[in-house]
Amino acid sequence: MILHLSVDIFIGGAILGALYALVAVGLNLQYGVTRILNVAHGEFIMVGAYLTYFCFTLFGMNPFASVIIVGPFMFLIGLFVYMLLLGGMVRSSRSGEELEFRSLLLCFGLSFVIQNLAIVLWTANYRGYEAFSLGMIDILGANFEINRIIIALISIAINVFLYLFLRFTKAGIAMRAAVEQPDGAQLIGINIFSICAKSFSLGILLAGWAGTLISVLYSTINPFMGTPYTLIALMLVILAGIGSFKGNIAGGFAFGYLTYITMRVIHPALTLVVVYAVLILILLIKPKGLFAR
Amino acid sequence: MIIFNMSKTKISAYLKWSPLLAFIVLAFAPLFVKTYYLTLLTSVMCWIGLAVSWHFFSGTTKYISLGSAAFFGIGVYITAIFSRILPLPIVFLLAAAINFFFAFCGVGLVTLRLKGIYFAIFTFGLAELLNNAILFWEMQVTGTRGRFITSVNVYYPILIITFVIIFSIIILRRTKLGLALRMIGECEDAAIHYGVNTTFYKILGFAVSSMFIGLLGAAFAPRWGYIDSGMAFNPLYSFMPAIMTLFGGVGTVLGPIVGAVVISLLEEYLLTTFKDYFMIILGIIMIIVILSLPDGMTGKFLRKAARTTEGRG
Repeated sequence: MILHLSVDIFIGGAILGALYALVAVGLNLQYGVTRILNVAHGEFIMVGAYLTYFCFTLFGMNPFASVIIVGPFMFLIGLFVYMLLLGGMVRSSRSGEELEFRSLLLCFGLSFVIQNLAIVLWTANYRGYEAFSLGMIDILGANFEINRIIIALISIAINVFLYLFLRFTKAGIAMRAAVEQPDGAQLIGINIFSICAKSFSLGILLAGWAGTLISVLYSTINPFMGTPYTLIALMLVILAGIGSFKGNIAGGFAFGYLTYITMRVIHPALTLVVVYAVLILILLIKPKGLFAR
Repeated sequence: MIIFNMSKTKISAYLKWSPLLAFIVLAFAPLFVKTYYLTLLTSVMCWIGLAVSWHFFSGTTKYISLGSAAFFGIGVYITAIFSRILPLPIVFLLAAAINFFFAFCGVGLVTLRLKGIYFAIFTFGLAELLNNAILFWEMQVTGTRGRFITSVNVYYPILIITFVIIFSIIILRRTKLGLALRMIGECEDAAIHYGVNTTFYKILGFAVSSMFIGLLGAAFAPRWGYIDSGMAFNPLYSFMPAIMTLFGGVGTVLGPIVGAVVISLLEEYLLTTFKDYFMIILGIIMIIVILSLPDGMTGKFLRKAARTTEGRG
């Protein structure tokens, strides 16, 4: 019994953790590079989930394969939003604080628009799709859907690719430079405006992919599904420290285990209470996040 | 236009009496206007109070609090619990005292080490924590959901409390506390160098602002008749004051008032005419305002006025 539970917690927590790490990594990248706190993050996750749903119902695409469509599409949406709304604000703001404050409220307005546009276009009803099920797998007496394990593996793979991108490509290195020293990056000839636009769009793309995986995981979607993920992503950014990639992975898993243990051992209704309590505690002990530099 | 030919002192002499005039007009309003407009007026005044209180701390110091809902909700719950055993004015005083104490000791002393975005997320988490904890308590321990409150007309309590809040804040802005908060907003490091005890004034300012928000929550609660944690700690009460203040303009008491009036009336109009598209339109308006009026509605006007008076010498 104890073995059951511990295996269940070990793997279940890891699945949630991998997913949370993917949910938050886009926001962390956006905020780290551009200083735009995109509180519409969850709404972009929702849009990604809907795109996956339509790929499946209209074209019969495998949800996992639809990342090929969802990714570029979300990147373009991100680029469009940045060019239309945020680019001018980044240029006209007089200080970092002012940009943070204004972009926070702007993204809040954006989340209103996206969520309610989704309600008008696609109704507020729950939609579900029976994608496919690969059955269950028995690991030392604890049962898991194979789908969930695949989802966790894909999230980890995306994170690894992102890490390689940030570590070894020119654009990735420029992004990291912009996180660490925005002024210095400009001095050595990095076009900060273009890097900000790219990072923002990349964050939206990652949000879209997270939406794809979430829609497979829970197999129902609705226009309100994004908001809790905004909160999770925000908390993880705080927990991890801004612009810290490793912190984001570690924080994601810590957070996954925390929620899963609360759900399984204490009480499912207490999940949010425990999560917020831990967040507040962490902020009290480390006012700049656990992995802050 | 006569008003532009009057000298500056004459205008300000008239302006000085305008709040009193507004109060008298609003006090006699129930005799003349329909119930619908009274209800609308009550909401508008409540939003004015919330925006002005929020601006007193967050707008001035630029420590953006997204936790107004926590204090509003505490006020609502205090009314829900005590209104049966105590008369309402005493309940309001109790709500003010508890919120002040909670914000000062519970939140202020430990949190104002946080800066910028960390402070915003922390305060937001606080409201959600209270919301979920109370929900859990009600569902699991007492087995109920929400509470009933004896419904009464809250027009006069809200009117009086809002005006008290506005006048206290106008006075407080000129005291040591208000000046210290403004200095922290301009440049906190300079304030520390100058010898201002910034931590103390930040905590005090936050507690005063939270006290006013809690007071409004307590006064507004009887309007509903039934409340639950989702209504009391609605995140809207955290975000709206911030949006209204930004819309109206940061830095004066007038800014949040203008913002609150415009946004709450707009909300009501959109909600009744374009029910399905209401949130989309509100969102688009918000985005346009933030993009085109970085200093809010009053900002441009005030800058212009300042330039004209400077030009005159």
